[in-house]
Amino acid sequence: MAIAIFFIAAALAVAGGIGVIAFRQPLRSVLSLVVVMIALSILFLLLSAQFVFVAQIIVYAGAVMVLFLFVIALLGPAKEIGKGRLRFQPWLSALFVLALFGLLWAMLQGVQYRQPEQADLSTFGTVQSIGIGLFTKYLYPFELTSILLLVAAIGAIYLSRREGDDR
Amino acid sequence: MSDLYANAIGHWVVVVVAMLILFFVVLTATAYTVWFERVALGRIQRRPGPNRVGPFGLLQLAADGIKAAFKESIVPTKTEHVLFVVAPCIAVAAAFLSWAVIPIGLWYNVTYWIADINIGILLVFAFSSLNVYAIFLGGYASNNKYSLLGGMRAAAQLISYEVALGLSLVPTFMIVGSLRLRDIVGYTVSWGPYHGPIPLILLTPIGFVIYLTAAVAETNRAPFDLPEAEQELIGGFLTEYTGLKFIMYYLAEYVNMITVSALAVLLFFGGWYLWFVPPVLAFLFKVVLLLFLYIWLRGTFPRLRYDMLMRLGWKVLLPLGIVNVIVTGVILVATQG
Repeated sequence: MAIAIFFIAAALAVAGGIGVIAFRQPLRSVLSLVVVMIALSILFLLLSAQFVFVAQIIVYAGAVMVLFLFVIALLGPAKEIGKGRLRFQPWLSALFVLALFGLLWAMLQGVQYRQPEQADLSTFGTVQSIGIGLFTKYLYPFELTSILLLVAAIGAIYLSRREGDDR
Repeated sequence: MSDLYANAIGHWVVVVVAMLILFFVVLTATAYTVWFERVALGRIQRRPGPNRVGPFGLLQLAADGIKAAFKESIVPTKTEHVLFVVAPCIAVAAAFLSWAVIPIGLWYNVTYWIADINIGILLVFAFSSLNVYAIFLGGYASNNKYSLLGGMRAAAQLISYEVALGLSLVPTFMIVGSLRLRDIVGYTVSWGPYHGPIPLILLTPIGFVIYLTAAVAETNRAPFDLPEAEQELIGGFLTEYTGLKFIMYYLAEYVNMITVSALAVLLFFGGWYLWFVPPVLAFLFKVVLLLFLYIWLRGTFPRLRYDMLMRLGWKVLLPLGIVNVIVTGVILVATQG
């Protein structure tokens, strides 16, 4: 059962990923990305990471992608911009693809940089275990991330402020 | 029952049967909610409301449904055909999926649920956040400026009020210490001679006020029904929809209304516990009371202006929610040491 669900979700994720770059209409690309997000959330659920599953749907599918949609709808049914030829990007992407396949090959060969930690499966992925982790072991990274987000928000507000708009 | 759950095939049979029953019950409840709303609104406005089809007009919704089902299914040209048809399907799917985690007490020791999971209520939020797509894509795909405006308004409104909705429930989670809906309903206290379940609204009254306001906005109901404000936007995202596709949006709206009412009952009013009243009747009674509150609001308040709506969401409800969380935390630490 789990295997069947895994293959369906994985196929959806790959199809969505292809859709993101294949569609010429920006809105369809965004919707493909939503499909990828939902497929990924199903994969998280299969790994019994319940909280990450819900966070993925609420934050990425429910909020971030809606903002993408918003921007595209506000810009109107725009033609794809950037008719100019890509200069160095093909070579760069080839490099990244090579690195990715190299990592995949290494994983299939059983190379591990670090042994996965022993997890207690009865509490793994629950809200409680994630909350305890965030506020004890990973407290400083967590707080630093929140400061980073605050800086980003303030920066966005500052940049979007119009000239001479002192209110 | 518990033996059946342990067995792999028995578990699936139980779940499938439970889902079918749920589907039937929620659909029927939706139809009668619409009837209830029309009659109640009629009485508020001093007119009789539907009273011709069947006794007390009870068959009015069946008649309306049959009429809509036999209407021609129109997809206007120059629309995004696929999205135009898929959008109402997303609305209905998102509305029904939430019911997977809502438990209902049927009798004194019998509780019904489909999935009893650790993240419980967060799943409801996850599915209700998908509702944005239904409305936004419906508005976008219609290729109509009124529809698009309605869709944009809906998206902005839903995102804004989702934050307040989530924050309003945090004190409840802090008090109970669980997101599992059965744990929240079964929360018991020992106050002097009294030992038993209490309605959590006694402990988080401000949380309930925020929840109620945000929930009305989340379900696009009056006085927050700006996405379909007929005076300025014709029908908002619904403008181009007819027949069954229109009915699907309509259905989703009422299912969502029942969902948020049922959630409010579970989270703030002690679920199916009410003195000696049989649990299922107590639950129904409380849900109907909340639904009436919804209809009452619609019959009483004029629609807000759009900037007022946004100001209320971001400048009133959100700070209030944060303060509520902090105050609850301080009190919890002070009383529990």
